[in-house]
Amino acid sequence: MNTDDIDLAYKVRHLLNEQLDTLPDATTSRLAAARTAALARKKADAPARSHKPAGARTFFGLDVGALFSSTGLGRIAVAVPLFALVAGLAGVYHQEQKQHIADLAELDAAVLSDELPLTAYLDDGFNAYLASQKRAQ
Amino acid sequence: MATDKELSDFLEHVERRAFKQAVYAVRKDEAALDIVQDAMIKLAEKYGDKPAAELPMLFQRILQTTILDYFRREKVRNTWVTLFSGLARQGSDEEDFDILASYEAEQGSSAAESSADQVERAQTLRVIENEVQKLPSRQREAFLMRYWQDMDVAETAEAMGCSEGSVKTHCSRATHTLAAALKAKGLRL
Repeated sequence: MNTDDIDLAYKVRHLLNEQLDTLPDATTSRLAAARTAALARKKADAPARSHKPAGARTFFGLDVGALFSSTGLGRIAVAVPLFALVAGLAGVYHQEQKQHIADLAELDAAVLSDELPLTAYLDDGFNAYLASQKRAQ
Repeated sequence: MATDKELSDFLEHVERRAFKQAVYAVRKDEAALDIVQDAMIKLAEKYGDKPAAELPMLFQRILQTTILDYFRREKVRNTWVTLFSGLARQGSDEEDFDILASYEAEQGSSAAESSADQVERAQTLRVIENEVQKLPSRQREAFLMRYWQDMDVAETAEAMGCSEGSVKTHCSRATHTLAAALKAKGLRL
């Protein structure tokens, strides 16, 4: 841009600035109110925020937002119960698996140690014989 | 880190120009006031802890984004309004409101100038405002940030999300357009 262009730009700026002083009162007061509202919601300087945010999350009356706050204590308060829950679920799962294996082993042992061969249980005639024996007793 | 006073002083310094800047873009002063308020609140909420030197660039970026959001919302709203054209006609008086139409009456307040000077000055200002409004949006943004908001080329480029070369081109084109428009209307600054 040459000197004339810059000169024009600054003259335009001067004219635009002049009309700022003649803004209607309603506009200036609205701008002042907007400024006040913005300052009231200024981001806190300190890392720890003491005030509760407007949209705080709650769950059955509990302030969940506070639990998830950035303080170390808040994080521990969430992490410890979560860890206990996960450990508990893992323990229950492991116990169930062990019990299931033990049941299967017991069944296998009972079948293998029986005097009757396995094929006897597949014989319909033998099943009918057992049923008639039960009825006779 | 900007203190409360620094932020307050900064907002007070830029609020009127930001308002006019928004008016040039959206051409409705109620909407412009809402836009400036939103931009101020976003700046304070999200960037209130930033150094005072960064505030002008951040505020301009937020202001431009808020203006764009306004146009997006208007586009969606107009789509629905077009479907119900009867309803659209009811609000047309408000839609056609022009800040320049009401501006003329406010110019007679200065007692120091003669009536002829006042009329000429008001006429020049109206022409300039009109021509600034007519500029392509990117040229207008660059011109106003650079020469009205006292931002340097680097800050303007960062706020606009473009290169410094683009800022210089936009500013140059805007100035030439304004100069040509004033010349065509026989006005000299």
